[in-house]
Amino acid sequence: MNATARMELRLRYRTAASAGVGLVIVIMIVGALYPSLKDTFGKLNVPQGVANLLGGADYSTLTGWLQSEIIATYGPLVFCAVAIATASSTTAGDEDDRVLAILLAHPVARTQLLLAKTLALTILIVAVSIATWIGLIIGVAIAGGGISSAHLAAQSLHLGLLGLALGTLALALGASTGRKPIAAGGAAGVAILGFLLNGLAPLIGAVSWTQYLSPFYYYASGRPLTNGAQWQHLAVLAAASFALIGVAVAGFRRRDLRG
Amino acid sequence: MTTTAQGKTAVSSVIEIRGLSKDFGEGRGVFDLELDVDPGEILGFLGPNGAGKSTTMRMLLGLIRPTGGRASVLGSDIASGSLEIRRRTGYLAGDFGLYGQLTGRRMLNHLAALHGGVSAGAIDELGERFDASLDRPIRDLSTGNRQKVGLIQALMHRPELLILDEPIAGLDPLVQRNFHELLREVRAEGRSVFLSSHTLSEVDRVADRVAILRQGRLVVVDSLEHLRALAVRRLDIEFARPPDPAEFRAIPGVRTAETAGTLLHVSFEGSADAVVKAAAAHDVLSIRSREDELEEIFLRYYQKDAR
Repeated sequence: MNATARMELRLRYRTAASAGVGLVIVIMIVGALYPSLKDTFGKLNVPQGVANLLGGADYSTLTGWLQSEIIATYGPLVFCAVAIATASSTTAGDEDDRVLAILLAHPVARTQLLLAKTLALTILIVAVSIATWIGLIIGVAIAGGGISSAHLAAQSLHLGLLGLALGTLALALGASTGRKPIAAGGAAGVAILGFLLNGLAPLIGAVSWTQYLSPFYYYASGRPLTNGAQWQHLAVLAAASFALIGVAVAGFRRRDLRG
Repeated sequence: MTTTAQGKTAVSSVIEIRGLSKDFGEGRGVFDLELDVDPGEILGFLGPNGAGKSTTMRMLLGLIRPTGGRASVLGSDIASGSLEIRRRTGYLAGDFGLYGQLTGRRMLNHLAALHGGVSAGAIDELGERFDASLDRPIRDLSTGNRQKVGLIQALMHRPELLILDEPIAGLDPLVQRNFHELLREVRAEGRSVFLSSHTLSEVDRVADRVAILRQGRLVVVDSLEHLRALAVRRLDIEFARPPDPAEFRAIPGVRTAETAGTLLHVSFEGSADAVVKAAAAHDVLSIRSREDELEEIFLRYYQKDAR
């Protein structure tokens, strides 16, 4: 691995590490609470729109419980936050801090620098995904078992690719503008909009197709915890990420650096 | 690059700037710059803040793109040969950042790795020379100590050309002296320095030539000796009776003529002949001559009406 990618990991592993540890702890607590709470809640009687946003609101099975407590909101929130924060500080953040101009005064091509930073971002997201997988295995075991580790891996993979898609969006915005508020705010805005769109659009016939525009559709609609990995959906997220990396490189190559 | 009769390859100009422009709009930027830096030369690049010095340097490094003209550095075009230029050039930005959580040494090692490594001991040697604290986190360093880390990263790979944007900002006088000494050594080795500053005193001791930029345009490129020769001269002439300043103001070349009692202060460009002959028509008690301070010459070039 090249010097830039190693340096990026060294500079930015803390956000990912604390998010990963926090996620594992929360998953274990959620798993431990399940045996005592499953009979209390059962299936909540809430409007369909709310149920969609909460990941089904079915607390009578372990899958439904995890779906509501971790998979629908908390997990994606952590993954998107880590990916967007890392991606926006590695591009626009470095430019704001006037470090980028120093790095690029040395013999490293802009494309090479950006790709090394993208590699580091991807490695950090993969690490949080693996931590999540291990956390889910432990959490499910504490709750009494019943979900295969393959499905837990599939769920972690979906989380990782959702994070990568939003992270590469922040990367593209940060690399093309050099402004951190645009990178972080723009990607976070798309994440929130995508989340609401995926939950609420299906309720309105005329605009229900817009849910296909949401990254959350490809993350959640196939219910990987129940059905295993949805390869077509993962491919869409991966393709979007690749395209956004292309946009980032194209936007970064010819631009005037701020300084 | 040109090939000499001996078959050696020689770089005619280390920096060759031809019609280079960067138009930011609203009259801001750099326009139609023509400038050469020769091998083994220290060129001082002067101008008030905002004149376009940093913009010019950033274009040479490929950090921003020109809107017109071209330039080459060490024989490579700035648009197509930027990596080669950056491999052989050391650059210190006027306002730069470093990763604050790293120590100076760790940061420098990282930048050295981008060069594929620098010679063993180069960082320590420069660190000792500037008395830099390399083992403390950069965020804990004073402005001067951060500037030293910046200087070391520009020098550590022994580049053939140094492009330094206001390098002595924040350095104490002793370190400034060390730094100027180092620049002279660089020149003695045939390497070149392109050095910007907004005050003359900063480059006065080291520069061979100066280029003065004002509002994005080059006003003058000349040696310091020649500029000194162009200085406005002043004569203080004491007469027996109060003189009439209007008589002296009418003489071509005279810039100012003021009286204080029997004393006349007159400043002029070029020959003193006409002034002295005009004075000779009256009873002269004494004549005292003094030269402009070099700094005043530069202030004149900086001012809007100067040309």
